[in-house]
Amino acid sequence: MKDPISKTRFSRRQFIKGAVTAAALPQFVSLHSLLQARPVYAAADADMSIAGNGTPSQLLQAAMAPLGGMGRFVKKGQRVVIKANIAWARTPEQASTNNPQLLSALIKMCYEAGAKRVAVWDHTCDNYQFTFSRSRLKETARKAGADIFSGHGHNVYKKVEVPRGKKLKRAEVIRDVLESDVFINFPIAKHHFATELTLGLKNLIGIVWDMEQLHKIDLHQCIADLGTIRKPDLVVMDAIRILTTNGPKGPGKTQDIGQVIASTDIVAADAYAAALFNNPRTGKPFRPEEIKYVRNAFELGLGEIDLAKVRVKSVSAT
Amino acid sequence: MTNVLSYVRRIVQALAVFFLLYLILQAAFPLELKIPVDLYLRLDPFVGIITLLTQKALIPRMLPAFGVLLLVLIFGNFFCGWFCPMGTTIDFFDRILFREKSQAKSFDDQSLRRLRYGILIFSLVAGLMAWQVMYLVDPISLITRTLVISVYPPIIFVYNQLLQRMLNLFPHNPFIFSSIPLPLFKTNLFIFALFVSILALGVIRKRFWCRYLCPLGTLLSITSRLRILKRSVTTDCTRCLNCAKECPAGAIPEGTPQSYRHHDCISCFKCLDCPPKAVAFRFTRPHWKAPTKVSLSRRYVLGSLAFGLFSALLIKTNPLQTDSGVRNNRLIRPPGSLPEGQFLAACTGCGECLKVCPNNALQPTLLEAGLAGLFTPRLAPRIGYCEEFCNFCGKVCPTGAIRELSIEEKRLVQIGVAHIDKTRCIAWDTEKVCLVCNEQCSYQAIVGDEKKRPSVNEEKCTGCGICENKCPVDGEAAIIVYSFGTQKKLKQEVSPTAKDKEGSTIKNSF
Repeated sequence: MKDPISKTRFSRRQFIKGAVTAAALPQFVSLHSLLQARPVYAAADADMSIAGNGTPSQLLQAAMAPLGGMGRFVKKGQRVVIKANIAWARTPEQASTNNPQLLSALIKMCYEAGAKRVAVWDHTCDNYQFTFSRSRLKETARKAGADIFSGHGHNVYKKVEVPRGKKLKRAEVIRDVLESDVFINFPIAKHHFATELTLGLKNLIGIVWDMEQLHKIDLHQCIADLGTIRKPDLVVMDAIRILTTNGPKGPGKTQDIGQVIASTDIVAADAYAAALFNNPRTGKPFRPEEIKYVRNAFELGLGEIDLAKVRVKSVSAT
Repeated sequence: MTNVLSYVRRIVQALAVFFLLYLILQAAFPLELKIPVDLYLRLDPFVGIITLLTQKALIPRMLPAFGVLLLVLIFGNFFCGWFCPMGTTIDFFDRILFREKSQAKSFDDQSLRRLRYGILIFSLVAGLMAWQVMYLVDPISLITRTLVISVYPPIIFVYNQLLQRMLNLFPHNPFIFSSIPLPLFKTNLFIFALFVSILALGVIRKRFWCRYLCPLGTLLSITSRLRILKRSVTTDCTRCLNCAKECPAGAIPEGTPQSYRHHDCISCFKCLDCPPKAVAFRFTRPHWKAPTKVSLSRRYVLGSLAFGLFSALLIKTNPLQTDSGVRNNRLIRPPGSLPEGQFLAACTGCGECLKVCPNNALQPTLLEAGLAGLFTPRLAPRIGYCEEFCNFCGKVCPTGAIRELSIEEKRLVQIGVAHIDKTRCIAWDTEKVCLVCNEQCSYQAIVGDEKKRPSVNEEKCTGCGICENKCPVDGEAAIIVYSFGTQKKLKQEVSPTAKDKEGSTIKNSF
């Protein structure tokens, strides 16, 4: 230490201090960015809108208008993450994965609103290479100018605590979902034998690393708890063609509904979409309370289950 | 001139190894390379001849190997010295590890020289008895397997680690690189040790494996006896013995450097590096006899024959290789595999299928399939499952041990059946809603009852193992795939969407 040169250099202690600070600083910064106030919304006539009659692109345009347009959610220069459903190696016609044209329209709308970069994510169930190619969503996303990612690598996740979770206390969630400026949940409504239906909340399972473990804890409550981690800024529900049997993987019977639901309230969107399906036990359309995870999410205060209390607007795209 | 040739050879050797590495890396999704990724194995005449013996039929995929044999017959053995990736690897490690040691003493190797002939005779006889020993002694299979199982996964591991370090430098970077799922292979350390011990033999002599053990080299050596390009030495020879010391194949006798065993020559042209420039290679008439004979006594040949014969009989009478009831019912072969006996008679254990499997589902066996089934592929569902729309393993198998199936055919092959252990199943044991197996099943073979408890429809289950793979129970899954030793063809389901395909018949070959 008496060597004059060492004075101008870092001592080991200084170095470690510096390194620790450098490593710790970004953690706080990223936390801070999460806590930042949401942008001020443009004037909106509704919290949820349902569009029918039209091509996928027209449906999306029509559904977004009553909410105040995409500009309400995506500001210039922002990074957008879309959580799509690309879980299975199925073709678009089989309605187990999102409608490619709708995904394309969604990505383009984000870019038109000024997004800097749009990333499409899913932690797939089948091998991602096969789901990406068979669902045609990879080429669709690439053509529309978005990045498409699969959560097959453990390194893209971040461990988070779930303070509001009743059963799920911590989870490993895709980092990009947590850190992006705008998070759009883009589910496809379909049958799901274990939980009755796959809807918006269920779609969030695909942002978690060890998805199957949730089944072991308490599937319905975990799905609801997941909704507390990062509230989607926007839910775009793909109900153009829905899978009504053999869900979630199919192939099964499909039904062409031809609707797109856009909502700021994930529980309301699920409550509406549930009624598109018949409950095999009662033979009548599902009531939202019959989907346990929707009810659990409502109880957690994630949204409104009673559609009478939500400003809903139905529009025709053409 | 001479130096140039040796540089050219080294470059060709390096290119051949890098091309093998490239092909191995290309053995992956989407598998669209025009060149077959198993090219090197298809060029291997030893594999060609042994499979001809064990299968009693010519495998079309292996035809290129006989082309190599023909070329060697005419021009002499260029394969070992120029193209063999195993030979190159041995050359490389001999050079960096044993440069001085292996040349120190003169070495009487007359008795060792016949060893590889014994191994070849052994292999041929065993092959006739339908026991192939390629998984033990074939050099191309050996190096492919070692690269796939013992070299590739550590590279991916290091890549993933470095990637993570890199990404940590930019906590807010917009670029997201997923790490590559780490390939895991159970026998990696064992295969590595085997390979290293072969390299370590270089401490005794340069290219020890090639000179004294390699049956492929022996085969090519016998074939190249009639070579037309031969070494000739003028009277300028000063008997400095440079060539005898340098010759990697030991083809130049130290007593008489003017002559050489032309069948042992691997055409490396190192002997052209002759101080008095006395050595040249000329085209001459083919000549079977060599100046120094291999000391193959009748006793030795008969001994090798008998040893091969008896060993093959022991394999045939081993309980694991017969229908004795000790068969391992967790030994699930990849879809399209030949019936177990024929499968073992064809699989060289090269590891191409292990590499190409997108889910890392195929694992090399150690002793699960008996000694005759070392390094053969088996489905290990807890590590990975058989992907529904994938038929890659059949596409890369050089010997057709796994037949190439169309996707439609493959989806109807039952490689095993899943069974639920109700005492451990979450749904049966605890009333919780689980049904991961039901939602994951590609073939709708797992149905749930009113209480959301799963059961397996054996008519539909293909044994792909996705249920076992994804089952959230700790350790051993609560749903396990068992094989029955044979693969069955399931009935094609007549679904309203598949009606147009109903007319097409699928070859009933199971």
